[in-house]
Amino acid sequence: MEVDRADGRNPNQLRPLACSCSILHRAHGSASWSQGDTKVLAAVYGPKAGTKKNENPEKASIEVIWKPRTGQIGKPEKEYEIILKRTLQSICILTINPNTTTSVIIQVVHDDGALLPCAINAACAALVDAGIPMKHLAVAICCCSAESGYCILDPTKLEEQKMKGFAYLVFPNSILSVLPEGSSLVQGEPMEHGIITSVTHGAMSVDDYFHCLERGRAASAKLSDFLRRSLQSKLPGDLSKAE
Amino acid sequence: MEAKPSTANLVDKIVVPGDVVLDLSSMTNQTIKLGGGLRQECDSVSVIKAGKLRFSKPNKYWVESSQKRYVPCVEDTVLGIVVDCKADNFFVDIRGPTIAFLPVLAFEGGTRRNIPKFEIGSLLYVRVVKANPGMNPELSCTDASGKAAEFGLLKDGYMFETSTGLSRMLLSSPTCPVLEELGKQLSFEIAVGLNGRVWVNAESPSTVVLVSNAIMNSESLSAVQQKIMVDKLLQRIK
Repeated sequence: MEVDRADGRNPNQLRPLACSCSILHRAHGSASWSQGDTKVLAAVYGPKAGTKKNENPEKASIEVIWKPRTGQIGKPEKEYEIILKRTLQSICILTINPNTTTSVIIQVVHDDGALLPCAINAACAALVDAGIPMKHLAVAICCCSAESGYCILDPTKLEEQKMKGFAYLVFPNSILSVLPEGSSLVQGEPMEHGIITSVTHGAMSVDDYFHCLERGRAASAKLSDFLRRSLQSKLPGDLSKAE
Repeated sequence: MEAKPSTANLVDKIVVPGDVVLDLSSMTNQTIKLGGGLRQECDSVSVIKAGKLRFSKPNKYWVESSQKRYVPCVEDTVLGIVVDCKADNFFVDIRGPTIAFLPVLAFEGGTRRNIPKFEIGSLLYVRVVKANPGMNPELSCTDASGKAAEFGLLKDGYMFETSTGLSRMLLSSPTCPVLEELGKQLSFEIAVGLNGRVWVNAESPSTVVLVSNAIMNSESLSAVQQKIMVDKLLQRIK
């Protein structure tokens, strides 16, 4: 179905991605992620000793602080913090550093649609930069569905407002493996087909939602590649190490 | 990405968390040692920290990466800063997830009568004795046989913090190029902790500043570039 998007992209096309790591001098890990005009800066501090009162001291805990570009912190920011915290808790290995707190601070630099996925990608890159042990990486994408049933990926703010409903989806990244194909399946499907988080706004039918899921999963492979490449360029090569 | 055939080898390649690097079901009769950054999950070994996968014969695998935060390991020599003194232990900050303890008797010839007095904020060169997950690490100012061996208080000088990767490079043997070149022209004293702290001391403050700047700038340079950088810095003070 032909769809006219304001910036001329076709429905499955993502905006240009950019990621840079280790940009903040004092933070233990930091990353800035931008998709088109939406840009988010994430900083990670920790692990630091001690946990908060409600947290389980036998596991590491993750605390997320979301700072909007302007204005005071209100309920939407608190909701983003909770979603991010649950997502990051499921990808980090919490049993390695018990009774510690890792703080993730998200600063919104510019919001032009798909803000939460951009923040999740930035937080994941910052956690890798800080060396926090993780089971796998997470890639996030936003899909929206319109009245006529077609779905588009990575909307801008104007497109998001016009749509009937949209979903933020977070998938595990695609991994390199030395195992023969087919041996690392979980319940009959490779791990990349799993889903970590799904947040939906608006109304969409079940079929539309599954359609969005498929499109999102296909696009997550591209995001996964991009994340792997940007982490490779940041990691140091062989310096003057004697071999 | 699809799973590669099992003959593919990820050694010496950059890996990210989640990559499966070893298939244990095909190596049943070997003993393998896993270092930092790797975790065993049933029959496979997967990566938990991004970095370069390394293998050293006969059977050691580890992931090399450089962070600003230090993970305490046994037998590491680190530079710690005293934050508190209690009856039995000094509390020393070694840039890890938790504060480390230094028992007051862990010095050469240490008895209850001659406990050293360290002020809060003093810099110590210590060795990590115990580093269990979930517990505070324990330190000691003696080597394994009980001798002092240069451990203890570092007076004067200047301490700066870098990443763990740079401190491993400074401690590598043969001597890393930046220290070799600086050593040919200047005389200075240096202590490198594996937790990313470096202490430099020399007679004149300008030498200290020069050495510190040279080390901080050498993190991402290759050997030849390091020599050129040090030459340029030394030209300027002549």
